Amino acid sequence: MSPPVCHWVQSVLAAYLAGELKPSTADAVRRHLARCDECRKYATELEETWNLLDEAPLPPVRPGFTERMMARVVEEKELRALEARMRPNRILRQVAASVLGVAAGLLIGLALYSWTGQLREPKSPIEREVSRSITFLEDADLLDEIAVIEAIDRLTGSTDRASGA
Amino acid sequence: MGKAIAVAVGAYEHAGRRGAAADYDVGLMLAFQKGKELAFQELVERNHARVIGLIYRFIGDAADAEDLAQEVFLRIYRARQTYKPTAKFSTWMFRITANVSLNALRSRANRRDDVSIDQMGDSGEGPRGIPDHECEMPDGHLHQAELQEKVQDAIQALPEKQQIAVVLNKYEGMSYADIARTIGCSTMAVKSLLARARDNLKDRLLLYIRTGRGRRKV
Repeated sequence: MSPPVCHWVQSVLAAYLAGELKPSTADAVRRHLARCDECRKYATELEETWNLLDEAPLPPVRPGFTERMMARVVEEKELRALEARMRPNRILRQVAASVLGVAAGLLIGLALYSWTGQLREPKSPIEREVSRSITFLEDADLLDEIAVIEAIDRLTGSTDRASGA
Repeated sequence: MGKAIAVAVGAYEHAGRRGAAADYDVGLMLAFQKGKELAFQELVERNHARVIGLIYRFIGDAADAEDLAQEVFLRIYRARQTYKPTAKFSTWMFRITANVSLNALRSRANRRDDVSIDQMGDSGEGPRGIPDHECEMPDGHLHQAELQEKVQDAIQALPEKQQIAVVLNKYEGMSYADIARTIGCSTMAVKSLLARARDNLKDRLLLYIRTGRGRRKV
């Protein structure tokens, strides 16, 4: 089993090899490596595997990327413009839906009112007077019709009397 | 492009920022933010090879790498209104690149979660397809293409955060502090990530070193 100092050195070896340790810590690691075969072997293996990563080169980039990218940007802008044109229609649809909702609410309210009956009985004298007036106005057409019928009756009666005479 | 350069430099001087004065790409992004489309085109021209290369390191497929690079630049394009030059442009760009790459890898694995770097666990120990390297004995005459494949496999088999740290450190030459800013963690965490990553790589690639490949002066 490795001594604790070897364990510590091996935990910071990657940073040591990358030059990312503080100078004082790096000195301590360097001194340890000079006298510890196991840690020196570990450091060599770490470095060699790191260098092995250079064996995976990048494939060449296909020419014309910028042109293809800018063509895609044009598509993106056209898509955004289309979305912007669609947006007012969406708002209109939302307004229409809101209006329909309010209308439906009014209809339901009216239906409920009709179902639950009339307005409450008027209590104060003013309310009663108003109520009477409203009733009179509601019956106005009927009263007009009665008056017309009576007038016709009178005219008919007078005509009958005249012809009888 | 020359006109865009002048525009970018002018915009950057106008912005009066000092933190990343040497970052020419920040100037281009600010010019683009002010509506100069040519500045964006120059950003693409200057950076696309690095972005494609980085994505290739993550996913190992050249054609997919180009498609995903387009996605990275589209995200940059869309972010022009919200962009703030608080760090180096490359830090921001590589952060987007890493997120796009990781999402692509997860889509490939039929995972539906769209997870960003920030949502990874501290250890970044995302489950990856780890090849059974113990069963692969190199014959001492490994072809270059095979060796490349082994190296690429070893990188891609690393847990996600370790992989990002390795790619940014090894291939982009980024310091631990810059990697920390890109991934969104502390420098100490990057130190720990890279220690474990290099340990993992040693375990997976040691057999190929012993065949003589990769042996250099330490």
